[in-house]
Amino acid sequence: MIQQILAIIIILFFLSRLFWQKKRQELGKAEFTFWLIFWLCGFGAIIFIKKIDLLLVDLGFSARGIDVLFYMAVIVLFYFVLRVRIRLERIEKNITVLTRQNAKK
Amino acid sequence: MLKIVCVIPAWNEEKSIVYVLRDVLRYVDTVVVVDDASIDNTLIALKLAKFSDNVKVLKHVVNRGQGASLQTGNEYALEIGADIIIHFDADNQFLASEITDVVKPLIDNEADVVFGSRFLSKKSNIPFFKEKVILPIGRIVNRIVMGENNLTDPQSGFRAMNANVARGITIEQDRMAHCSEIISKVIRSKYRLKEVPITVFYNEFGQKFSGGVNIIKELIFNKIIS
Repeated sequence: MIQQILAIIIILFFLSRLFWQKKRQELGKAEFTFWLIFWLCGFGAIIFIKKIDLLLVDLGFSARGIDVLFYMAVIVLFYFVLRVRIRLERIEKNITVLTRQNAKK
Repeated sequence: MLKIVCVIPAWNEEKSIVYVLRDVLRYVDTVVVVDDASIDNTLIALKLAKFSDNVKVLKHVVNRGQGASLQTGNEYALEIGADIIIHFDADNQFLASEITDVVKPLIDNEADVVFGSRFLSKKSNIPFFKEKVILPIGRIVNRIVMGENNLTDPQSGFRAMNANVARGITIEQDRMAHCSEIISKVIRSKYRLKEVPITVFYNEFGQKFSGGVNIIKELIFNKIIS
């Protein structure tokens, strides 16, 4: 129960940061929507953790719901790291193109 | 008469660049030096040497790596009408006199790309660990990445290509993985390739083991995102 309350407090903190960033116009509409859905899903998963436990048992898994959430969080993190790396790579390529154009002038 | 242009990427090569250029100029029509944002006196050394118009210095304002420098040089060489483009290192490890050997199969129309190989010659003083461990691993990785080929020295930086090849392939690997990339694209595009023996004098160890690991990382990541 305490763990759930802590997790909810953390999620509420991130949600408040999200709205604050939106208010300051530091986030685009699409990005705001994505993160809003992301944190609301997290919020829902924490609230209905017992239901997830039961669902997993029904599906024949021995893991607890909180473990599944943890594994999913790791997968999502890896995905985000890859996305950041791809974006970084694109920026690097663009810098190379600009540097090259400048050199050939 | 074919116009031969030599592209030399340079990063912090103040000690050797002028000497290398004087040597290379005896065998080519034009040299394009791509200074990759050197933080030493490479540019000053070039300025003081007062080369004539057959030396063009291009400056990257931000360090982009050897692969990026070679692509910059290739593009410029094509713009000035190069028929044959040579890639040569600025650290005085290669013999400029061997440019003639590397270029010959192109002039004779026996190949579209020529790679210099340290292993077809007995003269190179390759460090033991590099020869027996790093380069064999490099060969295995190259076969995995590029498919079957008989190249003996996939990491050689001394190569020559005709203008058609330079136009046909774009070096996208900005850092050190460009050697594998060039070979891969040459094989895929079915250009005629040939290896000729070259001599390499190792002033330092050259590419370190960590550098090899980085190349593998770059190649794998590029495979994922491409």
